[in-house]
Amino acid sequence: MSNEPVIRVVDLRQRYGDFEAVAGISFEVRRGELFALLGTNGAGKTTTLETLEGFRPAHSGAVRVLDRDPHRERRAVRERVGIMLQECGFFGELTVAETVDHWRGFTPRARSRDEVLDLVDLRDKAGVRTRQLSGGQKRRLDLALALLGRPEVMFLDEPTTGMDPEARHATWRTVRDLVADGTTVLLTTHYLEEAEQLADRLAMMHRGRIELSGTLAEVLAGHGDRVSFRVPDRLQVADLPAPRGRSAEVTVEGGAPVATYTTTGDDLQRVLYELLSWAEENAVRLDGLQARSASLEDVFLRTAEGATR
Amino acid sequence: MNPTAAARGSAPRLPDVRPSALVRIARLDLTLLWRNRTALFTVAGLPLMFGALLLPARGKRMDGLDAALMQGTGHLAFFLIFAVFMNLVNVFTARREDLTLKRLRGTSLSDAEILCGSVLTSVALYLAQATALLVLLMTALGGGPPANLPLMLAGMLGGAVVFALLGFVFAGITPNSDMAQLTVLPVMFGCMAGAGVMFPLAALPGWAQQAAHWLPLSPVVEIVRTGYLGRDFHAAATHETVGSAGAWAVTAPSFAVLAVWTALGVYAARRWFRWEPRRG
Repeated sequence: MSNEPVIRVVDLRQRYGDFEAVAGISFEVRRGELFALLGTNGAGKTTTLETLEGFRPAHSGAVRVLDRDPHRERRAVRERVGIMLQECGFFGELTVAETVDHWRGFTPRARSRDEVLDLVDLRDKAGVRTRQLSGGQKRRLDLALALLGRPEVMFLDEPTTGMDPEARHATWRTVRDLVADGTTVLLTTHYLEEAEQLADRLAMMHRGRIELSGTLAEVLAGHGDRVSFRVPDRLQVADLPAPRGRSAEVTVEGGAPVATYTTTGDDLQRVLYELLSWAEENAVRLDGLQARSASLEDVFLRTAEGATR
Repeated sequence: MNPTAAARGSAPRLPDVRPSALVRIARLDLTLLWRNRTALFTVAGLPLMFGALLLPARGKRMDGLDAALMQGTGHLAFFLIFAVFMNLVNVFTARREDLTLKRLRGTSLSDAEILCGSVLTSVALYLAQATALLVLLMTALGGGPPANLPLMLAGMLGGAVVFALLGFVFAGITPNSDMAQLTVLPVMFGCMAGAGVMFPLAALPGWAQQAAHWLPLSPVVEIVRTGYLGRDFHAAATHETVGSAGAWAVTAPSFAVLAVWTALGVYAARRWFRWEPRRG
C-alpha cells in the first residue's frame, strides 16, 4: 500500500441558500484505505460525498479524487470510481439481470453479469423485476452497479441501510475483500459498529464540521473508561459513592436505573477498587457490574451533545 | 491548486457525446417505453388515432385545397408533440423524481449523452411515424410524392430541436410524473388549434393570425406543407405554387421563427431543467 492520498479535501464548504451544509472540512484518504465518515443526520456527510463524486462543484475549498477535479473532469474520474448513492432509483420494469446488462453498457471494462451478481449474492434474483426487490436486495444491487467497473475508489453512502444482519455481514465481507485488493473506500454510515468493523480511519462530522478524526484507537483515546452497574433498589441516588471524587451519571436502561462513572487517564483501577471496597463495607450487591473502555457510540453521542452546547 | 477557480464548475463545456453511448441510452429508452403502456400509448397510440381521423377528410376541401392533405401535412409536424415533446417531458420528469436520472448521472455517461440519447430515441420514433404518415399521404390519400423532400426534412428536424428543448423546459417545471399529463396540455392544444394543423389560420381574425405565426409549431407546419405541396403557406390566402428555390425562400421567415424558439429554448432549458428533485 502506498501512502499517496487518493482523495483530498481542503477546507471544503457547501451552501444551500443561507444554510451552510459543509462548513470548512479537510481530510485525506490514502490508497487502499477505508475511511468512514460518521455523523448525525444533516451533518453534511452526503453533501461531502456528492461533491467528491462530482455531482456538484465546491462552493469554496478544493476536492481532488485520483488527482483530478471530480466535477470538471467528471468523465475521467467516473471511469475509475464506483458510486453507491444514499438514495437512488432503479427502473422498476427491468429485471436485475437487465439492469446489470444496461449498466455494463455504460461502464468501461465492466465485470461480467454473473461475476458481479455473485459478489453481492443476487444471482438467484437475476430474473426478478427490480420493483419487487426488498430494501436490502436493492441495496445489494446498488453495490453491484458500483462494483461493475472494478473501481479504484468507491464511495459508499450508507451501504447497509435496510439490510438484515446476515446481509450486512455479507456486505462487510465484500467490502473487506475489495479493500484487501487495494480499493480505496470512503464510506458513510449510521451504524457505528460498521465503522468499528471496517474503518482504518474515521472522522465524525457534526453540523458541517469534522469534530474528531483518526484511527479508531485515536478517536477513542481521551474519552476514558466506563464503570457501570444497576442501582440497587434500597439505595437512593444520593447514597451512591464518589470514587476518586467522581459522581455517577444515572440513566434508565430496561426500566432500571443504571449508574455510570466515566474515568479518565489511568484511573479505572482505582475507581473500581474504591467502588468495590464501598460495596463490600456496605454489603451492597452490584448487579450488572461492567468496566469497559469508551465505545464509538459514547464518543459519537458526546460529540453530538458537546457540539450543540 | 487554485481552489475557487477549480471549484466553480460552469466553464464552457465541449460537446461530450460518444455515439456508442447514445445508442445504449436509446436501447434503454426503447425497452422502458415498451414496458410502460401509458407512455407507449402517448407515443404511438395517439398519432395512430390522429392518422386515422384523416380518412374521413378525404375529398373535402380546406382553404381551397384537399382537406386530408392539408391536415395530413399538419400532422407531419404535429406528431412532434407526442413522440418528442410529451415523451421527453414524461421521461425526464419521471426519471428525475424516481432518482434514476441521478443513477444515470453516477455512471461515466456525460450529461450531454444522457440528454441527447433520449432525444435521439424520441426523434427516431417521430421520424418513423412521420414516414408512415407520409406513405399514407402519398398513396391512400392520393397526394403523390413530395415537392421538396429536403425542405420537409429540414423543417421536421428544426422542429424536433425546438420541441426537445421545450420538453426539457416543461420537465423542469413539472413537479411529478402525474402532473406531466397536465402541464403538456396547453402546449398541445395551443399548437393543435393555433398552428394551422386542424384548420387554416385564415379562419382566425387578423391579430390572431399574426400571433399564431409565432407559435413554435407554426413554422414547422408551414415548412412541411410547403415542402410537400410545393405552395406558399406563409403569406396567407392564395397559396401560390413555388419552385424548389422559391420554396426555400418563402419558408425563410419560418426558419427564422424556429431559430428564435431554439434560442429561447436553450435559455429556458438551462434556467429550468433540473437533474434532481427539489429538496424538502
